[in-house]
Amino acid sequence: MATNRFHRYAAMAALVLFAAIFIMPFVWMLSTSFKHETRIFPPPGEYPQWIPRIDATDAQGRPLVWHRGQSAVDLGADEKGMHRLLENGREISVAAADIARRERIRFYWENYTRAFQMMDFFQNLRNTLYICLMATLGTVLSSSLVAYGFARIPWRGRDALFVVVLASMMLPYQVTLIPLFAVYSKLGWVGSFKPLIVPYFFGVPFYIFLLRQFFKGIPEDLSAAARIDGCTEFGIYARIILPLSKPALATTVLFQFLFQWGDFLNPLIYLQDDRQYTLAIALQQFQSQHESAWGPLMAMSTVITLPVILLFFLAQRTFIQGITMSGLKG
Amino acid sequence: MTRLERRNLRNGLLFISPWIAGFLGFELYPLLMSVYYSFTEFNVIQPPVWSGLANYHELFFDDPVFWRALYNTLYFTAFSVPACLAASIGIAVLLNQKIPAMSVFRTIFFLPSIVPLVASSVLWLWVLNPDSGLINMALKQIFGIEGPGWLADANWAKPALVLMSVWGIGGAVVIFLAGLSDVPPALYEVAELDGAGPFRKFWNVTLPMLTPTILFNLVMGLINAFQYFTQVYVMTGGKGTPVDSTMFYALYLYRSSFFYLRMGYASAMAWLLFIVILAATVGVLVSSKRWVYYHGD
Amino acid sequence: MYLSRSHIVWALAGLACVASAYVLWPRQAATDAERRALAEGRTIIVYWDRHSGHEHEARMRLIDEFNERQSEVYVRGVAVGFNALMEKTLTSTAGHAPPDVQSIDSTFLAQLAPQGIFRPLDDLIAEEPSLHREKFFPFCWDMVFYSGHVWGIPTTTDSYCLLWNKAAFRKAGLDPERPPRTLQELTDYAAKLTIRGETGEIEQMGFLPWLPWDLTHMWGALFGGEWFNYATGRAEIAQDEHLRAAYEWQQSFAYDPGAKEQLPYAMDPERIEAFSKGFGEYFSASNPFYSGKVAMIAEGEWQVTFIPKYAPGLDWGVAPIPQPEGAPPLSYGPAAVVDVIPSTARHPEAAKKFLRWFYSPRPNGGTSPASDYTFEIHNIATRRDEAVQERFVADPKFRVFVNELLTKPVASMPNMPVSLYMMDQIERQRSRVVFRRSTPEQALRDAEAMTNRALDRVRALMARGGGPAGGKTP
Repeated sequence: MATNRFHRYAAMAALVLFAAIFIMPFVWMLSTSFKHETRIFPPPGEYPQWIPRIDATDAQGRPLVWHRGQSAVDLGADEKGMHRLLENGREISVAAADIARRERIRFYWENYTRAFQMMDFFQNLRNTLYICLMATLGTVLSSSLVAYGFARIPWRGRDALFVVVLASMMLPYQVTLIPLFAVYSKLGWVGSFKPLIVPYFFGVPFYIFLLRQFFKGIPEDLSAAARIDGCTEFGIYARIILPLSKPALATTVLFQFLFQWGDFLNPLIYLQDDRQYTLAIALQQFQSQHESAWGPLMAMSTVITLPVILLFFLAQRTFIQGITMSGLKG
Repeated sequence: MTRLERRNLRNGLLFISPWIAGFLGFELYPLLMSVYYSFTEFNVIQPPVWSGLANYHELFFDDPVFWRALYNTLYFTAFSVPACLAASIGIAVLLNQKIPAMSVFRTIFFLPSIVPLVASSVLWLWVLNPDSGLINMALKQIFGIEGPGWLADANWAKPALVLMSVWGIGGAVVIFLAGLSDVPPALYEVAELDGAGPFRKFWNVTLPMLTPTILFNLVMGLINAFQYFTQVYVMTGGKGTPVDSTMFYALYLYRSSFFYLRMGYASAMAWLLFIVILAATVGVLVSSKRWVYYHGD
Repeated sequence: MYLSRSHIVWALAGLACVASAYVLWPRQAATDAERRALAEGRTIIVYWDRHSGHEHEARMRLIDEFNERQSEVYVRGVAVGFNALMEKTLTSTAGHAPPDVQSIDSTFLAQLAPQGIFRPLDDLIAEEPSLHREKFFPFCWDMVFYSGHVWGIPTTTDSYCLLWNKAAFRKAGLDPERPPRTLQELTDYAAKLTIRGETGEIEQMGFLPWLPWDLTHMWGALFGGEWFNYATGRAEIAQDEHLRAAYEWQQSFAYDPGAKEQLPYAMDPERIEAFSKGFGEYFSASNPFYSGKVAMIAEGEWQVTFIPKYAPGLDWGVAPIPQPEGAPPLSYGPAAVVDVIPSTARHPEAAKKFLRWFYSPRPNGGTSPASDYTFEIHNIATRRDEAVQERFVADPKFRVFVNELLTKPVASMPNMPVSLYMMDQIERQRSRVVFRRSTPEQALRDAEAMTNRALDRVRALMARGGGPAGGKTP
């Protein structure tokens, strides 16, 4: 039992170490979203701060510095570079090298208020949610159907056709964008949400492949038994396979939602009006040719990341349910 | 054809009919058009002009950047795909235990996949900075060695990008977790009765049961790595610096299609890449008959 | 039974989706202003802005003003931004869904105009005195004038100068009020201003020709070279000694592994690359020039606004960029942002009405909206009388930038059908030369061959496709 416990501690330690590495981008974003504009990027050669700070000042707004372990008010420098300090009520003159900037922790919430002022957040959120929900619904329904056809029914030409499904992911999008746009333009869909939603009701290769892999893992006996009971193929799909594939279906929902949530290019290409824009496009509003509003950008990035984290946190329970076998053994 | 076979064929086609309809409706025309473009000189604005095999000929015999981009992409794929696969299996197995606050840990490993790249790229530029970056500072303070120039060094830029790609394994981990949840606990119990330790259990139970998921992540990893684009575009500005070391296939294709207005040339590039990816995928799929184990079979 | 329960779950999930879809159904109805405009019988046109963020907001304020001031046309401004501008422009053109008017980069225009994708604006230019040719900086006019037609109106442009850090000059014992005037001085100063640490790492860099970004094209021009021969319509650069000197000079900033003695300012190219890649953002306190890590830098006029904002304590000056002795005086205005009307626009007349308002002075001696816009986004106006308006040149530093464009001939990026391709070749060769994968001679030969081949291909295509012949009419 001792080795068992040792293994568990070792695994735990490894997890904590790796988790510390993987959490960095998020903590970085969160921390930066609370930083004052002047503190987001440190001067070259210095480390970035993880806890947001600003220069400390006294009640009159004069900067505070450390001088030999004492706090002093910096009254400014003269031409020779000597700083006049107000220390314990006395005025003294010291070299710049002898003083250190005094800082205090300050969470700069103003980034968040500015971020919300700079974009029509709720309009963008509504557009994004609409596209995400509709496309995800379509993806789950259609991809699971198609995957069933590729995984659970033996028919001639199946594997060859499946390679075609995979192959449709292998061509870089750049060279099909022009003719694809022409198709949607002919259909009169450009400028609407349809190009971002309707195609997902026709099966998405990535999820067809994913679900096929999981469907194939479900014992054939279950289907055979249902067939003997007079169940149709659709019945087997709906009543046996789908309920047993919750982890894979949850993965599909999560990934598709996440993809649509962050997709920039497709909405930008097919939507023709600011009022249809999604959150991912609206992030552009913080970046312009000559200036990036990094504070509000990080704040808004944090805001739009949180719902996905929440979704993941709730969905991840289904990944571990492991119901496939255990629920059916008897 | 027996009646059963006929019924299966009908049912099979019925189930995949949404995909067939979508493929014929939305995908086939763009696909065929891009094949056609690849045999033309097409600047997007004027109608394409037939040029036969000229684009392919130029790619093979007259374009040093193309070969450089192909090499870079093969290099990236060869290192990134196995690294990501190994890391994601390892982390998924660690995450599949009964450990306090496991749901929090699971979320943490998915975080880098959620944070917008525009926000996290700033962090990467610092982590990979040769002078004051996190990695080189750690190398210096812990091991006392001078770290490489990473993105600034023609020899280290690709390893830096491979390293970065490992942070993005959150999706693969989730899929492996779903796969692990399907491993029947009874198998572990049997293995334990045989006196197997954790490593034997991993090797003899977990890994074989994960093979369908490994196949999936391997094939998708290949397809994505060959088309690697967004990260490098954001990190290096997409110009391939330093000295072509980060000029990747999809990057060159993108530049050729929308900036050099050579959609025909880009289409030829795309179809050559298609053949490479298809060959790799079919190779994996054919070999998978020997190493993938479906519990349902 | 477990089957029916999952059924219910799925049915509920489906219902929830339908319900939320209903609640979320995007409100696509026009805004109140647009509805009123429709009721008044106005023509509604769409403007695609190449900018997002701050610049887009400045543009929108003027669009709002236009919509208020007249009752025939209503403009709806859409922020497209720069990230996918080419994809958006080209898909919409090929898919017959273009806007009525849009802004793009002059380098894009140079490639697209010869293909007939935009509507010639000759009639608008002829009708509107404030848009006459002589009003514009010649280099800006050249960016929109191809094959005998005007294809767009340049809105804003840039100018490059040398910025120097006076404190760093003082520390190095140089006169802080006297910037380098010749290339030799620039190089000498660079050596004096370069400070190394104990292990040879760079603590302060004197000057680096490719900071903040690759400027090989500019250096070639300032050295007296010609990147493109507009008379013959070809790149004839392989034998150009000035261009070769520009590559050689840039190469001298990187160590030569084969040489025994290094130039005093030469550095390991990887260290330089690391330095220029540095942690942080161009417009932030970590900009190496703001933080004193680089003592001199070639930069654009926007810095006049941004340095006080991000580095209020910085003591700095602006001067013309030094040229080699004997090179004809030249300044650098690389490109412009240009307004164009797509040839398949649905309401070209209404679009012209908007453009005419945007570029004309307001009544009673007021400024033009274009000038207001340029001022708000801290760029330089494309028309001479606007560029020298008091509000622009009141700042002595900004005046230096404007003066450069006023008093000297101006070099710009190549205005021809493969301009982006050629720029990429020039920059790619710079990287190869600095890392000593190529020589300056070879670099020029390669860039010339690649560019001319691309040009030949485009010309042959246009000849066969029946499009207008490319290239610039002198």
